[in-house]
Amino acid sequence: MRLFLSGLRKLVRRPATFVIFGLLIGLLVLIVLAVGATANSGMGAGGGPNGRAAAKELVTFPGAYDRMLQFILGLGGLFAMIYGAAIAGSEWSWGTLKSAVARGESRVRYMLFSFASIGLMIAVGLVIAFGIAVVAAVIGANLANVSTSGLGDTATLGHLPERLLKGWFAVLEEAALGFTIATLARSQLAGIGAGIAFYFGETFASIFLPDIVKYMPFSVANASVATGSGQGFGGGGGATIATLPADQALLMVAVWLVGSLFVAALYSDRAEISG
Amino acid sequence: MSGMDGLALATRGLRKSYGSRRALDGLDLSVPAGVVYGFLGPNGAGKTTTMRVLTGLIHADGGTVELLGRPFKRGDRHRLFEVGALVEAPTFYPYLSARANLRELAASGAPVPSKRIEEVLDLAGLCDRANDKVQGYSMGMKQRLGIAAALLSDPKLLLLDEPANGLDPAGIVAMRDTLKALASQGKTVFVSSHLLAEIQVMADVVGIIAAGKLVREGPLKELLSMQGVVKVRVRPNLVDAAIETLAPLAPAERLTETDRDEGWLAVRLATDRAEEVNQKLAGAGIYASGLESGTDLEMLFLELTGGQGPSGGEGAFVGLGGLNGGAPAGKGTAA
Repeated sequence: MRLFLSGLRKLVRRPATFVIFGLLIGLLVLIVLAVGATANSGMGAGGGPNGRAAAKELVTFPGAYDRMLQFILGLGGLFAMIYGAAIAGSEWSWGTLKSAVARGESRVRYMLFSFASIGLMIAVGLVIAFGIAVVAAVIGANLANVSTSGLGDTATLGHLPERLLKGWFAVLEEAALGFTIATLARSQLAGIGAGIAFYFGETFASIFLPDIVKYMPFSVANASVATGSGQGFGGGGGATIATLPADQALLMVAVWLVGSLFVAALYSDRAEISG
Repeated sequence: MSGMDGLALATRGLRKSYGSRRALDGLDLSVPAGVVYGFLGPNGAGKTTTMRVLTGLIHADGGTVELLGRPFKRGDRHRLFEVGALVEAPTFYPYLSARANLRELAASGAPVPSKRIEEVLDLAGLCDRANDKVQGYSMGMKQRLGIAAALLSDPKLLLLDEPANGLDPAGIVAMRDTLKALASQGKTVFVSSHLLAEIQVMADVVGIIAAGKLVREGPLKELLSMQGVVKVRVRPNLVDAAIETLAPLAPAERLTETDRDEGWLAVRLATDRAEEVNQKLAGAGIYASGLESGTDLEMLFLELTGGQGPSGGEGAFVGLGGLNGGAPAGKGTAA
């Protein structure tokens, strides 16, 4: 528990936490407001009638709940991967893992509790980001002169906790992947770089190897939270060509999450720490 | 605290290789409890590798380690709860303050009462800057914080790798006093350093390693008394007579003529035998115009490590009367 709370305190004060969260929120708010503001003009979403309709649909409730969440999970997945890599990599780059190990701390416990604190930060970030996204969508709807009467749709609201939980699980898996890559690379920068390359590599590979890529971490993360509406936006790995059914995808997310953490823990336990 | 044999730290046959390079080649260390132990060796001798093995950062290929009288093997990480360590450069979260860094470090390993953080900050002289972010610290301040971190658990055994790095003279003196005080309280301080002068004034026991092996270990006074030098100045035309007179005191290889023109001779003897040298010369009607005695850790170090100088090392010749004149003993022509 000491390690978990310590991990949280470190993350709360860490500039990377605010930079990454700020980037996500900044992009989300900017896009949603821009879409709302231009939905009735010729500039909106391609300019044609279909584009304008799509732009209005984006900020129309209750569907906007899902679309905001898709955006957060899509771009947030990449950011979570970067965040996980930054936290794990810095433990090696800054030598702080070394200090803890020299005090007799278990390497496995240290790494797993570090990740657990990342998990909680992501959960809090996800909820806050979603709240801000909804507010941005309401403003966007007003700018687009779209009714917000669907805001209180009880059926949609009833499903939100489950959707957020699944989304958190998916993002957590992506963070775990970054965490593990940076652990293996023993470096913040190398971990982030390799993680981003993996993310875009998977997207690119999905064009040529869809049947394989659909089992890959970013694809399964996306598929596990897909609503089937096809109205999401915000990118998010190679889930666009072939995807697993949501329940299978969720299972694969769990496999990737546990597998990644197992590799990170095993490597940390066996590694020779120097420098 | 320590084992049956009174050792706080012991290694037996410690081996470690990096690829084909052997970093430790059967290292046997015996560190008594309650002393400051100076761990010396030239660059690449295996000092840092030893420190890493002792702190569980790397694992030895063979041999055994005992910490505070109990075996320390893979999985015995709890042994380190009673050990404080500063290995290589001190490491911290740059975006946190010194106080916050210590608090987060205290969350790992042995539990630490929160008041201990204030105690070690005070001990390290960092109270005034304790809330400043570490990224703004100078190297010396980081080093102070590193020493504070090593002391966090009030350890029985302290392992410090080059603790004087980056410290200003006042900081070095304060650190030395602190370490000596800890040893006087029964704690064991194991200091790896290349600063021979620092070790000479601080350590009770030294171990010198070269090429991964221990080449000499023992109480510093004992080692230095074996390495003592008495220097005597006589009239230049009496140098040969003086050598003949002093021959019974020391074998020829321990009797060195350091500067014939100035009449300086060096006799490698225990420093407390200076009076005997003077008496012997006077008895033969040779009156010394100068007499100095001292010890030289650097000379011992160079002799044992095959002439590999400590990196950036400074030899110290701590003369009882202050040695200034004449060439360093042992560097002249053998008589």
